[in-house]
Amino acid sequence: MEKRMKLLPECNRFLDREIAGRKAGVLVTAIVSFINILLLFPFFGWVNVVNIPRLFAGLGITKEEAGNLFTSYSVLNLLSFVQESGEGRIGLYAMILLVIAAAVIFFNVAYVVRVVLDRKGKKGNLSLYATGRTAMLFEIILTGAAIGYVIFSNSKFGMKGFAASPIVYILFILSVISYLAVKVMEAEERALYREHGMLKEIKKNWVLFIMLLPTFIYFMINNYLPMVGVYYAFTNFNFRDGLWGSPFIGFKNFEFLLKADLFRLTRNTILYNLVFIGIGNILQIVFAIFVSQVTVKWFKKTTQTLMFMPYFVSFVILKVLVYNIFEYQYGLINNFVTSLGGGRIDFYNTPSYWPLLITLFYLWKNIGYGMVVYLATIMGIDTEYYEAAKVDGANIFQQIRYITIPLVKPTFIILLLYALGSIMKGQFELFYQMIGNNGVLYNITDILDTYVYRITMTQPLSLGLGTAAGLYQSLFGFIIVVLVNFIVKRRNPEYALF
Amino acid sequence: MKVRKGTATIVFEIITYFLLAFGAIVCVLPFIIILSGSFTDNTTILTQGYSILPRNFTFAAYKTIFYAPKDILQAYKMTVFYTVVGTTLGLLMITLTGYVISRKEFKYRNQVSFLIYFTSIFGGGMIPWYLMYANVLNMKGSTFAIWFPALMSPFLVILMRTFIVGSVPDAITESAKIDGAGHFTIFAKIVMPVLGPGLATVGLFLALGYWNDWYRSSMFSTSSKTWELQFYLYDLLNATTALKQMSQSSSISTAQLPTESVKLAMAVVATGPVLLFYPFVQKYFVSGITVGAVKG
Repeated sequence: MEKRMKLLPECNRFLDREIAGRKAGVLVTAIVSFINILLLFPFFGWVNVVNIPRLFAGLGITKEEAGNLFTSYSVLNLLSFVQESGEGRIGLYAMILLVIAAAVIFFNVAYVVRVVLDRKGKKGNLSLYATGRTAMLFEIILTGAAIGYVIFSNSKFGMKGFAASPIVYILFILSVISYLAVKVMEAEERALYREHGMLKEIKKNWVLFIMLLPTFIYFMINNYLPMVGVYYAFTNFNFRDGLWGSPFIGFKNFEFLLKADLFRLTRNTILYNLVFIGIGNILQIVFAIFVSQVTVKWFKKTTQTLMFMPYFVSFVILKVLVYNIFEYQYGLINNFVTSLGGGRIDFYNTPSYWPLLITLFYLWKNIGYGMVVYLATIMGIDTEYYEAAKVDGANIFQQIRYITIPLVKPTFIILLLYALGSIMKGQFELFYQMIGNNGVLYNITDILDTYVYRITMTQPLSLGLGTAAGLYQSLFGFIIVVLVNFIVKRRNPEYALF
Repeated sequence: MKVRKGTATIVFEIITYFLLAFGAIVCVLPFIIILSGSFTDNTTILTQGYSILPRNFTFAAYKTIFYAPKDILQAYKMTVFYTVVGTTLGLLMITLTGYVISRKEFKYRNQVSFLIYFTSIFGGGMIPWYLMYANVLNMKGSTFAIWFPALMSPFLVILMRTFIVGSVPDAITESAKIDGAGHFTIFAKIVMPVLGPGLATVGLFLALGYWNDWYRSSMFSTSSKTWELQFYLYDLLNATTALKQMSQSSSISTAQLPTESVKLAMAVVATGPVLLFYPFVQKYFVSGITVGAVKG
């Protein structure tokens, strides 16, 4: 850091100059940020179509379609070009540009707003510089990627149909300079607060980074890289065109879902979860209180062990059970009913039984799990409270009402928040093993997860549609988590999830 | 000081014992039905249906299974393989991660924790995930696609971090560092030895997950050679093809084939190890759930 500061004395002198109460460097970079936000608007073309006949020939666009094409595109409306041209291979690239553009807007707005508000954090301007640096970094990536898009599309189709507008090159250079400027200012501030940068951290704690390497690879493969695949939600996915070549169709999958199944699936997913959360927690608390009251040791241990047992068996075993109990010919219930002289009940063809049955088996599987949590909380309550209450003549119901329940409430709220956060995630294994591919029952037992799973396994031509359903589920769930967390954080930060 | 029990307390205790006994029976009854069904003669099931106690007690179902045990032994072998490999590797990775994000001197510990936690609130969905393994990595039909995806989970990483923070005081690692110990030394010589309960808890959660999984086989297996035990059972329930093959290779005639009871016997064989170990390891799950729920 010292070396760089000596190398750039002129630059430093300029950055440190005060203009209207702000350091010049911050002011200049904020202005660059602002210009960048402005230039992202769709009426400033970033990618120009310069050689229309060649482009038409390369992509096979007809005259009628050509009427809908503009001659210049910003990174925000480039996808409309992809959609008009029906060319899937450049769709993913255009989509990534759009996502980066969204990040650029977010960070640049954040930077400009923070500069205008001029609030100092715990460590001076360090966090402000971090925002600025990120904003500039994304600018560099965006402009670089826009130039890359032009090169990629031209070489992909063997033509000279695209050109990056001068705006892109100017912004690229501007953002590189601003990035370096922020770095220099940051270096000074870092030295002041004895904070170090990423490179130094890697040098210092390289062993820790090596320890994290397998984890990094795992989460990249299993979670982060597949996120790119949400692009399929916007395509008419088919294997023939390869993973990235399927035609881009915009929001058509979502429109189709909205018309067909989305309401029913969402309703089922949320309603079942609400019932599970509500009844589940109440029963778990009730049984935890019961167990805590038992004084005979072996009885306490045995009941707890037995009630926790269903949690440990697989859902396939649950399928065996459900089948044994509700089967038409030999099932336990029909067996019992006929022995009493009643008629057989056709469970597997009568949808109205299943919401109740699914709930019952959910409870069967999960009561023990939640009971453990609540029991731990109840056991943690100081016995002196109860002693004092007994001396004052409180009976057992009053003790529960005025001591146990209020003290269990925090645990209840935490578990409730967790559950609300995952309200869009269905109990996939439970539903799939209980219902399976029994189409008669779908209307009131199909949840988003089972719907997507069926598409994945049996309908390769609807993979785009399935991805759209999955993306809807993920996004909706994510918004609920963030919302719940936001509200909780404002009312009582202790309960916040993150 | 002894306080006399009031009537309300006595009434409550009676209700408590009654309801708890009822709850425990309801929870355990299904297992008894499966167990007794597996010992019941198949024709009895076909004519009289399932019952709670075995009628016409017989080992016929188990005999059928072990008469031609090739398939089920293969599924057992694969499941043990997945469980051992997945649990060992997963445990190592989770422990290393837990160690790193519990180091105060690691500047990015909060960012790393958040990136791990973030995967539990947002994801690309099932289809991109599936295509990642099946088409990008081209792992369809391999064993890799079955054990790899379940190696880690945000819940277990955070649980492990909590265990590490709770069982290794900062002062000890600090003094080790002053004595010149590196991170690997601290991890192996100081953290690992005192982490017994944490390792047991996280390891058991992993192992249970592997043992009970059927889902990844249903997605990634291309031949019955790589099937997990639970998926083998699932397949058996759905189609009795496996059973017919068994009867062809053995000399039992199809008419006498105890299909229903064989399914149940298979369920017993598949779940047996879990329920056998369960009473001894239950306390680790209890501690895991309790710690995980409180610290989240």
